Amino acid sequence: MKPWSFLIFCSLALLHLTGCNSSPPQFSNRAEFDDLEPYAQEYVSEVLDSYFGTPTESVAWERLPVEYHFTETTVSSSPSPRKVTLDVAAGGHGSIGPGTEIHFASTNESNWITEWDAATGLATLERKPTQAIAEGEAVIVGPGAILKNGRHLYAQHCQHCHGVSGDGNGPTARYLNPLPRDYRNGRFKFTTTSYDFSPSRDDLGRVIREGIPGTYMPSFKLLKQEEMQAIVEYVRWLSMRGEIEKQLIETALADYTHEAVKLRVDGGASREEIEAEFYKRLADGEIQESLEVVVDLMVERWKGSDLAENMVQVATKRPPATPESIAHGRQLYLDVNNKCASCHGDAGFGDGPQNYAYTPGKPGPGLYDDWDNPIKPRNLHTGIYRGGRRPYDLFCRIRASVKGTPMPKFDTMKEEDVWDLVNYVYSIPYEEEVAGSGRLEEMVDSAESEIESAAESESNEVASR
Amino acid sequence: MKWFWCLFFAFWPILAIAVCLVAPAYGWWFPGPAASPLGQRIDDLFYMILIITTLTFIGTQIGLAYVLFTGARRTDPDVQQKAWFSHGSHELEVIWSVAPAFILLFIALYQLDVWADYRVKDMFPHEEMEGLLAEGLHQKRDEHDNMHLAEVTARQFEWRIRYPGFDEDGNLLPLEREPQPTDLYDVNDLHLPASAPVMIMLKSQDVQHSFFLPELRVKQDAVPGLVIPIWFEATKKGEYALTCAELCGWGHYKMKARFVAESDEEFLEYLRELHRKQFFDGVVEAESEEEEDE
Amino acid sequence: MSSATTTAPESGHGHHHHNPEDRLALLKQIWMFSTDHKVIGIQFLVTTLLMLMVGGALALGVRWQLAFPWENMPFFGLLFGSEGGQISPEAYTMLFTMHATVMIFLVIIPVLAGAFGNFLIPLMIGADDMAFPILNALSYWFMWPAIFCFGASFFFGGGPGNGWTSYPVLSAVPEAAPGSGTAQFFWLMGVTLVGVSSMMGSVNYMTTIINMRAPGMTLFRMPLTIWGMFITAILQAFALPVLTAAGFMLVSDRMLGTCFFIPSGLVINNGDPTVGGGQPLLWQHLFWFYSHPAVYIMLLPAMGMVSDMLACCCRKPIFGYKPMVYSMAAIAGLGFIVWGHHMFTSGMNPALGMTFMISTVMIALPSAVKVFNWIGTIWGGRPEFNTVFLNCVAFVSMFIVGGLSGIFMAAVPVDIYIHDTYFIVAHFHYVLFGATLFGVFGAVHFWFPKMFGRRMDETLGKWHFFLTFIGFNGTFFPMHLLGVAGMPRRYADPYLHPYLENLLPMNQFMTICACIMGFAQFILLFNFAYSLFKGQKAGMNPWLANGLEWVAPSPPGHGNFAAVPTVYRGPYEYSAPERDDDHWLQTEPPKSSPVPEPQKTEPTPDSAPVGEDTGSSS
Repeated sequence: MKPWSFLIFCSLALLHLTGCNSSPPQFSNRAEFDDLEPYAQEYVSEVLDSYFGTPTESVAWERLPVEYHFTETTVSSSPSPRKVTLDVAAGGHGSIGPGTEIHFASTNESNWITEWDAATGLATLERKPTQAIAEGEAVIVGPGAILKNGRHLYAQHCQHCHGVSGDGNGPTARYLNPLPRDYRNGRFKFTTTSYDFSPSRDDLGRVIREGIPGTYMPSFKLLKQEEMQAIVEYVRWLSMRGEIEKQLIETALADYTHEAVKLRVDGGASREEIEAEFYKRLADGEIQESLEVVVDLMVERWKGSDLAENMVQVATKRPPATPESIAHGRQLYLDVNNKCASCHGDAGFGDGPQNYAYTPGKPGPGLYDDWDNPIKPRNLHTGIYRGGRRPYDLFCRIRASVKGTPMPKFDTMKEEDVWDLVNYVYSIPYEEEVAGSGRLEEMVDSAESEIESAAESESNEVASR
Repeated sequence: MKWFWCLFFAFWPILAIAVCLVAPAYGWWFPGPAASPLGQRIDDLFYMILIITTLTFIGTQIGLAYVLFTGARRTDPDVQQKAWFSHGSHELEVIWSVAPAFILLFIALYQLDVWADYRVKDMFPHEEMEGLLAEGLHQKRDEHDNMHLAEVTARQFEWRIRYPGFDEDGNLLPLEREPQPTDLYDVNDLHLPASAPVMIMLKSQDVQHSFFLPELRVKQDAVPGLVIPIWFEATKKGEYALTCAELCGWGHYKMKARFVAESDEEFLEYLRELHRKQFFDGVVEAESEEEEDE
Repeated sequence: MSSATTTAPESGHGHHHHNPEDRLALLKQIWMFSTDHKVIGIQFLVTTLLMLMVGGALALGVRWQLAFPWENMPFFGLLFGSEGGQISPEAYTMLFTMHATVMIFLVIIPVLAGAFGNFLIPLMIGADDMAFPILNALSYWFMWPAIFCFGASFFFGGGPGNGWTSYPVLSAVPEAAPGSGTAQFFWLMGVTLVGVSSMMGSVNYMTTIINMRAPGMTLFRMPLTIWGMFITAILQAFALPVLTAAGFMLVSDRMLGTCFFIPSGLVINNGDPTVGGGQPLLWQHLFWFYSHPAVYIMLLPAMGMVSDMLACCCRKPIFGYKPMVYSMAAIAGLGFIVWGHHMFTSGMNPALGMTFMISTVMIALPSAVKVFNWIGTIWGGRPEFNTVFLNCVAFVSMFIVGGLSGIFMAAVPVDIYIHDTYFIVAHFHYVLFGATLFGVFGAVHFWFPKMFGRRMDETLGKWHFFLTFIGFNGTFFPMHLLGVAGMPRRYADPYLHPYLENLLPMNQFMTICACIMGFAQFILLFNFAYSLFKGQKAGMNPWLANGLEWVAPSPPGHGNFAAVPTVYRGPYEYSAPERDDDHWLQTEPPKSSPVPEPQKTEPTPDSAPVGEDTGSSS
């Protein structure tokens, strides 16, 4: 009997291993979450759950500047009970087609499109609506569909590096250098927006389309326009979710970390009191209020990031890369006040002294980015421009910095100077003489003549024998 | 039971051939007819070998089925025949050694042409390439080593492409081996003229990759440290898949790109557009809008 | 079967480790450091069958991902890094790398040379043991450090993810891929240790076969199994050092900063540009110089065993014994000069490509001759359709497909297209699984009675064969079509590419078939375990075969034979017209022959290896 029972046990164990591990994906919390008292943690989870949901059951929070739906529009006419013409210029969103959900606001009911004529906006519905559709009625085509598509695409293409919650910590991430972006504090390195703003949709789209040369972020150029858009919206959504979590923990709930509570307990308050106070503040809406402030600021910033006036502004065209311009650029580069060379090195090899300097609060020598990862200034000789190789990209890097890194913004520098710097940076990979060494040619010349004279004297010796 | 097994072994080759016959109808076959002259020759060779091997397959499987059926018959109660005591046949051995030898040798020798045209440098279609450069792109390049129109650098996990740029008068420059300030860059999107054979330089920046154009039947590994010239010719204008066929790490499957074959003018226009984009300095708002929306 | 009853004879050596009635005696020593070739063979067999299950599970992981990309993968999803219910792409590369590694280095090579080579060589040539018994035992016990290394490599930095071919630069620079870290080092150590094990085996086999044949066992009276083993041993001995050397070069590239395989100027994972002047193609030459002959190492012994089994099952002499031997030798010889066909698209000198094409195409010739001879062997025989025979016919039938599909990739222009597509995968699975493993399954059923004194269950055996055959063809035949459709190997998600999208249903079908095949292997394991205890008892010669192993008791005692057997004829004299019996033992003296001292060769009367089945009616 024994072997049989063993066999049964083994097969049950095997079944368990193979069959029962299909739990749906979950967002993870940031590390600071663990510093909160349990009741504060509960509150954070509650907020995130009600405003964002889970990856598979996501919530479209209308306050966020995210495009969740294919389109929101009105009915322009209804030729027959099961047919409606939608008011969409030039066919509307490219993803609309058979199977797309359509939601009527007045009756609050959903229907599905079975046939779709993109040219005229004529949609045939799957079933007859309960009430006749009036002209001008508001509809949402594909409610939440962009977010849903975004998640699928994100899971397929991005998740294994950037993680389910956009924390840049998927299973592949640990092998990559540099690490994948952690979206959760709203900082993205390569943008065309001014220093204080988040990336515009175009910035995110460009990174997906062109990749980031020199890193493991590949180009996804062949994704369709709609797919690219869906991923961009999903990334923005993840980023906002992460920001709210971060701000909640760092500002709204700063009084309820283990550390803060311990300080107050040491000061004489009891834990129960603090907890009771938390619930009171919650009931008074005080915490909600500070959350509102956080959300407002964030929404404003993301909205502003897509406005043309918040892009890095250029008034004058890039001057031709004349030797004078380049020389002036080099001068600026080496200028002590600009400090370019202190990180990027005199010769632009990315080997400036700051690479070896200690900064208080950092784990070791050298430079660190906002994510506390060690970071190296760019070697300007490689001809690789991570944020893009357009002059405008380089201009933005100097004007608005590489966000989240020690690269400063030069927003007060004169525009001609910035252009000269750009011209100089462009010229670095093609330099024949390495900047900073100065005496290189001399050294080569003298070495050559030495060799020559040595060879001559040798041959003379041979001859004299 | 023995008859069941005889039928079993006779049946599966029939099924296999049936599957092959219906496969093209379901799209389980070549991704379209070969889109290059060389690819067509490769396909022809494929079909030639397919016919030879299919005949051999049918022949041997029929032989196998025959010996199984006759062997099974011998053990029937009414027959009960002893096995044939034979150590073989010299004549048969000679026949079935010499005949396949000739067929195999024929297959081998018949292939050499295509291989030579594809890989042997002296047999590259230099003249046609020269013609394309001269007429289509208004360039004079006559050195055989200087016919390249693009440099494709494979890296984990994308294809970085470098094209020659334009001089101040708007003429296309030749592609130099070393990067030039005028060079134009793109990623995962290889545009080349379709009118004549074109040549590219293939490089790898990190590990080994393989440049694979399934529709054109072109494949060449990008070996780190080597610069490998490949030529190909698209018979039709259009978009073709470009993938990586050599394991290059975890993102091997992500190296999805395309090869766009277009007319000479379109190619030049594409390069000009690339030039405009690449040297965009953020000044002209209208242009900037267009650029961002692209 | 006759009902003559003979007890198994005592071993010739006097010192008995076991009760001769104890039919599991060999198995009981499996835990020990035994120097008995039979115990070592069984140790190898049990180990490799377990490894077969591991490799199969890994294959199912690969199939799962191809059928249901990015769906929750059972089992492996739990074991290895997964995010949001998906395995990561580097886990996928690890799966196929380790599948190949386990199957090649821990299943096929050791099951042929290790298990059957060990068990059969002394028995079939009439020796009492291997020439170097301790070396032989070491060759088994060196498998375990190798298994440990391979096992460990799963758990360091994502597992080796460079494919079993481990092409540098990917494998030479630890930063190049997740699995290129410590895992790759363990992997290389594993390969080296397996190599040491194989080398010990092959030296031993060569020596044993050359020096320890029984009187009368001339080279051309040797069973083809022995020829297969002999040629394999030679191949192994000459090819393996190259791989070992290459492996050490790779290790030193990784750990000592040499640059055998790393050219200068590469920027990998955002690191500093590499310096050095290495050449990645060097590895490919060295690797394939071993690994192409290794294909024949994985095939020739199975060819030999199938020849033996077919002759016995059909009660008929082998058709063209000498051509069979010569073609095996030709395969081995040509096998050394065809390695370049793995590199047709690698950027070799094109002239070299032509040379390799001609040699590669020509290696199909001896293979063809062998196929014709196998069919000729069945021709006019009277086969019993037992599990052994079915597996052998499957071997021939599958090998035909594997051989013919090889011609496509031998032709360079066609190979340009199908290289590194699923066509290649289909081809080598037809050869290594379709041929070799069916041969092995047959051999397990055929020699099981000799190992344990009991027969394996026929019904279970046939079910195993039936399901494996169906599952195998359902899995691998469509791979040809995938290859023609241009689906590259080693893609975690082929459907990203529009031209491959329509292949998803086919891949799902193949995965279902693969699951059937995987399930069928449990039947084999069950049958193996069940028959050890409950199988029908077999006498000395349950198949009425001619070979020397069948005159030893089942299982043979220490020292194998009661007395040194003398050989009077080849092993395939079945159904001789002048005899009533349809088999004619190699040891049976001819009636009219002038045997000088028949007594010498005649073992003790009660163990006389007379022709009848020494039965099982106790």
